[in-house]
Amino acid sequence: MNRLGVHALTRRFGGLVANDSISFDVPVEGISAVIGPNGAGKTTLFSMISGFLEPSEGRVVFEGEDVTGVAPERIAARGLVRTFQLAQLFQNLTVLENVKVGRHIRTKAGLWAALARPAWARREEAETERRARELIAFVGLGDQADARAAALPYGQQRLLEIARALAAEPKLLLLDEPAAGLNHDETERLSGIIRRIAAQGTTVLLIEHDMKLVMNTADRIVVLNFGRKIAEGTPTEVQGNPQVIEAYLGGVETPHV
Amino acid sequence: MPTLPTTISTNAGLLLRYLPAVLAVGLIAYAIVAGGHFVTLAGFALIYAVFVTGLNIFMGYAGQASFGQNAFAAIGGYASAVLTATYGWPPIPALIVGAAGAALCAVVIGYPTLRLRGHYLAMATLAIGLIVYEVTVQWQSVTQGYMGISGIPPLGIGSWEVTSDRAQLIMLSIVVTLCMASAWLIRNSRFGRAIVALSGSEDAARALGVDVARYKLAAFVVSAVYASLAGSLFVHIVGFVSPEVFGMHMVILGFTMLYVGGIGTITGPLVGAIVINLLPETFRGLKDYQDLVYGAALILLLIYAPGGLASLGNALKRRPSTPIPATAPKGARP
Amino acid sequence: MFDLAYFSQTLVNGLSVGCIYGLIGIGFCVIYNASGIVNFAQGAFVMLGGMITYVLLTTLHLPMIVAGSIAIIVVALLGVLIERIVVRPLWDRNATMFVMILATLAVQIVIERTTLILVGDQPKSIPVFTDLPPIRIGGVSIGYQTLWIIGVSLVLIALLALFFQKTLVGRAMRACSINREAAALQGIPVSRMLALSFALSAALGAIAGILLTPTQFTAFNVGTPFAISGFIAAIVGGFGRPFGAFLGGIALGLAQALAVFGLGSGLKNVAALSVLLIFLFLRPSGILGAAK
Repeated sequence: MNRLGVHALTRRFGGLVANDSISFDVPVEGISAVIGPNGAGKTTLFSMISGFLEPSEGRVVFEGEDVTGVAPERIAARGLVRTFQLAQLFQNLTVLENVKVGRHIRTKAGLWAALARPAWARREEAETERRARELIAFVGLGDQADARAAALPYGQQRLLEIARALAAEPKLLLLDEPAAGLNHDETERLSGIIRRIAAQGTTVLLIEHDMKLVMNTADRIVVLNFGRKIAEGTPTEVQGNPQVIEAYLGGVETPHV
Repeated sequence: MPTLPTTISTNAGLLLRYLPAVLAVGLIAYAIVAGGHFVTLAGFALIYAVFVTGLNIFMGYAGQASFGQNAFAAIGGYASAVLTATYGWPPIPALIVGAAGAALCAVVIGYPTLRLRGHYLAMATLAIGLIVYEVTVQWQSVTQGYMGISGIPPLGIGSWEVTSDRAQLIMLSIVVTLCMASAWLIRNSRFGRAIVALSGSEDAARALGVDVARYKLAAFVVSAVYASLAGSLFVHIVGFVSPEVFGMHMVILGFTMLYVGGIGTITGPLVGAIVINLLPETFRGLKDYQDLVYGAALILLLIYAPGGLASLGNALKRRPSTPIPATAPKGARP
Repeated sequence: MFDLAYFSQTLVNGLSVGCIYGLIGIGFCVIYNASGIVNFAQGAFVMLGGMITYVLLTTLHLPMIVAGSIAIIVVALLGVLIERIVVRPLWDRNATMFVMILATLAVQIVIERTTLILVGDQPKSIPVFTDLPPIRIGGVSIGYQTLWIIGVSLVLIALLALFFQKTLVGRAMRACSINREAAALQGIPVSRMLALSFALSAALGAIAGILLTPTQFTAFNVGTPFAISGFIAAIVGGFGRPFGAFLGGIALGLAQALAVFGLGSGLKNVAALSVLLIFLFLRPSGILGAAK
């Protein structure tokens, strides 16, 4: 069974076709990636999958259920969680609190629980605290738990965003250009983190610009160009595909690995 | 406290941070001991602290704008006044009815507008402030119009009433402590984190499953209940209510207090309320100039000290390289 | 019994006050389009238009046309001043929307209170522009001031349409409303457009205030209710569409008139807010759809 099915997804903005009948499946196992040159329609595709943008045509099927046009918070509650191209942290919260917000859909304490603090809510909060600290340590931000999120350098903000998304225990994690703005070492570390996430049973689908990260990390790649899918396959297959080489490099050389 | 900025590490910094709160408590304690005119002023400051604490939950935490908090105070105040003075109810049930009315009104206003961009709610709340004022003037059979309602009994349970100035001040101190404690409990909970989160990025909050519209509405209702409570306290302490009590000046005063004390902090509302009520007693004499001065002060604070007076102290100590933490996230402007 | 003459009279009054709401609503749209700011001090311009005209008429005994023109220019300059000393610093700091709303609301309060101190709290009125008995059509009497309001509003709409479509500055302002970043890249001085939008919107507000004052009155505190009505007009018209806002104003004026006819005059503002809430509930993008 597939985690995610994208069926003939189309999005038009006025006369512009940002996504033209894109179809592919994301299997439960492993890491999938969507690549393509700037303006290929990758972010539009992600926005439609995660419910932030209504498709003009086509369907999104998550875990065998049609989630086309479902509100983002409901899609998240079903276990599909995304990150953003420009890290969108909660600036007025600490690093730890940011990750705790990630536990939102896995917890249920409301206003009354906040005021009365019954035993179950205290247990829930303790569990939230424990999980959040685990995840912060997992992405290597353990010693910065109580810093304000806005005070982190950019590379660490990206890692924090991933920790926050993982706190929701997603079945499918969508990462929108997670390596954007990271240096070489940070990208290496990110690649390792993504592989460990996938190894723990979370399906990962990422959009990426950084070819090195994709080729080293992804098991399957979908290539977009001008809003259309032009290739799909393993990293090796995609690298050898003449259309991909053409799209990426104007046919001059093969993609660097 | 989890909202501690990382830039403060020294004991001196901590001292400076808590100094306003310590002074605030000291002033109230002095008022209880000293008595007299000072007690009345301290009492108003504490009532405003309740009002501004509610405002802070909606504006400081959830990052939304409401200009109609005076309407909720009026609903609470008039419910208490009419039910106790005219119908002879005990104060506590009257107060609860007022709070329920304010909450209901907040739902009616907030549900359609909070799904949309901020200025819709801002304008709708500005309108409800004017409308409630008009209703209190026009609905003479109940509110007695401009004449107002007098003879409102002091707060109390059964035959036990809080009558002396000092006893009232002690009672208000307890109420304010409870209000601040509940604000702290709200802030440091799943609910509180969700509303602070959505003020940072609505998209990111939704992507994590936070029902943004619902949480904004809940924060709005909570702030309305605080305002209603402040309105009820006011009429019981003063014993009189008229439409002018809950005019637009209440909103501007509330905002000024919030910005003076520090928006988005637990103690900010109390500090702001005390500073604005106790220190510029000279301004209070010149009633016509009061709103003018507060309006101008608010503009200056917004431009030059967006984090409140407390943040001015921080700005002096901060290393030049560290960016000034925004009281609310940047880029939220449409 | 249903009184047709009274009913028609109510509608005519609603139409003329609706034009005023429309002009105020356009003022909101002009600033919003140039900057994304909702200017909560819009009502102050309306109040000042009538108030300054009154002061010039009574103290300097200027002719109406001169007094009115000076008032419009003064208010427009005040608009630029507000933009320079309050809005611009916040804009440069990239302040949030609610800080901007709060600051402009504080400006409204400052202007309101200053006016109160300078001229007192008594309502003021100015004479009608044409002092002739009203025209009677059937049982409906239409005052000349009503004709002035409707006529001047329509002329202003036509002029604005020309301005936005034919002149370079007007087209530059429209470009800013479509995409500020792109407009800046094209070499349009976006910040000057912001100042200009405040001037234009303040002038529109002042004109609305001058037109209206002879039929009602002006006082230091009339601004906010007018701002709210103008804002509702802008929403009903689909926020950011100046001509939609004018239609929205007329719709609101008529709806209020009907509410007054059916329910009595105490509920005028309640009716306006109900229109707002119902609209936001059913069709938040306005009659014509949102500008974006």
